[in-house]
Amino acid sequence: MNKSAQYFCLWSAAAMGVFVIIGWWLLAHFVPPPSPGWTAGEIAEFYVSNLTGIRTGMIFMLVGAGFFIPFIALISSQMRRMEHTPPVLAYTQLLGGSMSVMIILIPIMLWTTAAFRPERNPEITQMLNDAAWLITAMTFSPGIIQNLSIGLAVLWDRSAKRIFPRWVAYVNFWMALGFLPAGLMTYFKTGPFAWNGLLAFWLPLVAFTIWFNVMFIALMRAIREQRDS
Amino acid sequence: MMSGIEVTADTRVARSRAERHLPGEEGVWVFIMGDMVVFALFFAVFVWYRGLDPVLFSESQATLNAGYGLFNTCLLLTSSWFVVLAMNAVRRDLDRQAALLFVLALLCGLGFSLIKVLEYSEKIAADLTPLSNDFYMFYYILTGLHFVHVIIGMVVMLFMALLARRGVSRSGGLSFLEGGASYWHMVDLLWIVLFPLIYLMK
Repeated sequence: MNKSAQYFCLWSAAAMGVFVIIGWWLLAHFVPPPSPGWTAGEIAEFYVSNLTGIRTGMIFMLVGAGFFIPFIALISSQMRRMEHTPPVLAYTQLLGGSMSVMIILIPIMLWTTAAFRPERNPEITQMLNDAAWLITAMTFSPGIIQNLSIGLAVLWDRSAKRIFPRWVAYVNFWMALGFLPAGLMTYFKTGPFAWNGLLAFWLPLVAFTIWFNVMFIALMRAIREQRDS
Repeated sequence: MMSGIEVTADTRVARSRAERHLPGEEGVWVFIMGDMVVFALFFAVFVWYRGLDPVLFSESQATLNAGYGLFNTCLLLTSSWFVVLAMNAVRRDLDRQAALLFVLALLCGLGFSLIKVLEYSEKIAADLTPLSNDFYMFYYILTGLHFVHVIIGMVVMLFMALLARRGVSRSGGLSFLEGGASYWHMVDLLWIVLFPLIYLMK
């Protein structure tokens, strides 16, 4: 039973991936992001020209974000099996991961709000759009704390049969550094460090995708090798 | 101390492993390669933007103090050299001497940091901030990101010195030192690319 529940948590993350790709990218056309350099009129037009796509895309995103929650719980559950690893790390990961879910849920509802009244003053739509993108792309600290707690736990693990291979720890440390450039987007409307830029948006996105796949495979192996108890 | 004596026989063997082994654990190299790819991307973006406005970039570059950069290059190279000497000492079981050399490497890193802070504060006093122009944006972000690596490296170096002081003959001790040393050499290497790229490239 325990194993089936864990496999459900694992594959729910794959469901998240599918829902996010459909909602965020294919329906809402949020990838690549609308530029922070656009005028209020251009931003309003971006929403008006794709109202149904954005509204429906955000529903997909809500479903997808929900599916991320069991995956976070699964990471902590496997971390608790590591011998000699302080339990606080599993709880820190759980909280960091939960906050990451929250910083995607809030923007989803801000994007929804922005698309809710297309007839309103464009500057208000621009502000909602700004807030949504800044929250989702710049809020790096929960992710960093989550990565560091996973990394430290893996290094501390003294189980006879290791839960995750040690290099998974270093992928997590690397991911933590990959989040850092996102913090710079508060200063820029254009260029590589703006929220649609190569180094502040695409680099963390690619790094997250790599991290996600590494964790997925590592968790799949950890569940497979776990003896039913 | 007891456990230290017990494992000494094993570590003697471990310390004279074949010459072609990968220093540290393989995970450290996953991190180092990943980090260098990220830096290579940053460097490429810098060169790209430089190509868009070469006049602005070379004018701004002329306002930098290459002397600070050169001095810092020497500090990091010296520091890497101390780390090499320390690792040699570790292999000859001179753990106390290694601890001292790690502290010297750490002090070089500290010197680098002081120069960096001095350099930043001079620039800010002259009203040259990350928002002044694209060159200064890259100057602060690239050197700043590298600086974060130096600070992390100094913390690692502190733990390496403490480990060497307590004696390396503990499970995973040598591997940790090799991993930390490899990381520190990477920080040095990144600066050796960064310095000519930002301060000197015409």
